[in-house]
Amino acid sequence: MANENSQTAVVVEDLHKSFGQLEVLKGVSLTAREGDVVSMIGASGSGKSTFLRCINLLELPTRGRITVTGEELLLTPGKDGDLHPSDRRQVERVRTKLGMVFQSFNLWQHMTVMQNVIEAPVHVLGLSKKEAIERGEALLNKVGLYEKREQYPAFLSGGQQQRAAIARALCMNPKVMLFDEPTSALDPELVGEVLKVIRDLANEGRTMILVTHEMKFARDVSSHVIYLHQGKVEEEGPPKQVFGAPISERCKQFVSSIH
Amino acid sequence: MILAVAPLSDLLSFGNKGYLDELMWGAIATLEISFLGYAFGCFLGLLGAVGKLSGGSLVKNILGGYTTLFRAIPELVLIMLIYYAGTNGLNQLLISFGFEPIQINQLLAAVFVLGFVQGAYSTEVLRAAILAVPVGQVEAAKAYGMTSYQQFRRVVLPAMLPYAIPGLANLWLNITKDSALIAVIGSSELANVTRIAAGGSKLYLVFYLLAAVIYLVISMVSDQFFAWLERRVRRGQRKLA
Repeated sequence: MANENSQTAVVVEDLHKSFGQLEVLKGVSLTAREGDVVSMIGASGSGKSTFLRCINLLELPTRGRITVTGEELLLTPGKDGDLHPSDRRQVERVRTKLGMVFQSFNLWQHMTVMQNVIEAPVHVLGLSKKEAIERGEALLNKVGLYEKREQYPAFLSGGQQQRAAIARALCMNPKVMLFDEPTSALDPELVGEVLKVIRDLANEGRTMILVTHEMKFARDVSSHVIYLHQGKVEEEGPPKQVFGAPISERCKQFVSSIH
Repeated sequence: MILAVAPLSDLLSFGNKGYLDELMWGAIATLEISFLGYAFGCFLGLLGAVGKLSGGSLVKNILGGYTTLFRAIPELVLIMLIYYAGTNGLNQLLISFGFEPIQINQLLAAVFVLGFVQGAYSTEVLRAAILAVPVGQVEAAKAYGMTSYQQFRRVVLPAMLPYAIPGLANLWLNITKDSALIAVIGSSELANVTRIAAGGSKLYLVFYLLAAVIYLVISMVSDQFFAWLERRVRRGQRKLA
């Protein structure tokens, strides 16, 4: 990995997740150090989105350990077979360090772009409104949406909504950005503007975990690539290896079929 | 024998001879009972909806029984049951503990009964509205570290209003009219006052038409208000082209 000596940001060990009888994750591990860009690729249903959603406990894992910036999430097995948070406060605190960007944006529809961006900084982090707006204005400038700050999300294009959602995530000053297929819901002509924003973040040295179907993009920005197949890590390594000279036959087929 | 009836102009005046001041106070009482009952009902409905959606099985069963009963039994029966039987039971309880019996305030009784009926209906209106909020809206709130209360207060509550307002507006119009049922316990709201005025003057047509117009005005003004409210809570939504 690129940053052998830097601090670990996210460590996931032996993560399992079952939905009823179906085991979608069969022991997946991941380490992201500060400054890493880890991409997760794989076919639909390989479990990559579920894995990402387990990191901030939007999905409860069945087994495994999750550590964010050195703090291990306290989990207790529940009656339903999933691991449940033992300390709600801890989960809420850890979630503020993980900036999630969703496939379907999930901007709050009843708030303007600016209100979306400052909502959690004000109400969760306790920032003053003034400070949050200053931060928000800078970020909206950065993603090219300053002019749209008073608009409601429904009146923006998909690409604009996703850029607003990225600004919303960044406004929390997260330690790690989590991207869950950020361009999959977009029209092809809108993908570029979102990827550009993500690429800029990678270039700034932001720590990111990215679930994506954009292979060329993953190859360009990642420091580490994980190929998931049926809930298991089939191949992982630097992008040169995974895309250029994969050891696994399946991975070879997957990356060649997508290109 | 010819019944001596005061001239219409006297009857339709404010003051001792006329009934207009009584009617006005009746209309105000109707609005007061309706508003308080509605507010109480919405509060119960919010608790009921949240309880039905996220409570344990005991809470769900109790709420299921509540909404079934209060939507099944005619309001008139409920009003008399709670007012007469309720007062009676309460007083017997008070006496058995050595207290003086009390007279239950009619207004409070009316608000209480109508509120409970409204609560049963608004539980269902609000439950449906909460379910209509896309899951992603709540997931985003969770992902940024909001507490359960913040998720509800900051996201679910405002996001469900566009789906709830039409149903809640219906309930408001219903309660302004259902408040007339309170006449059976002798409350001096609009319908009861009208009955007294019409009976006293024998001008049935005049006074009942007047009451009808007052109810119409109340509902037309309410419509305007709810239309404004709906536009406001839907301001983030695109209109159908």
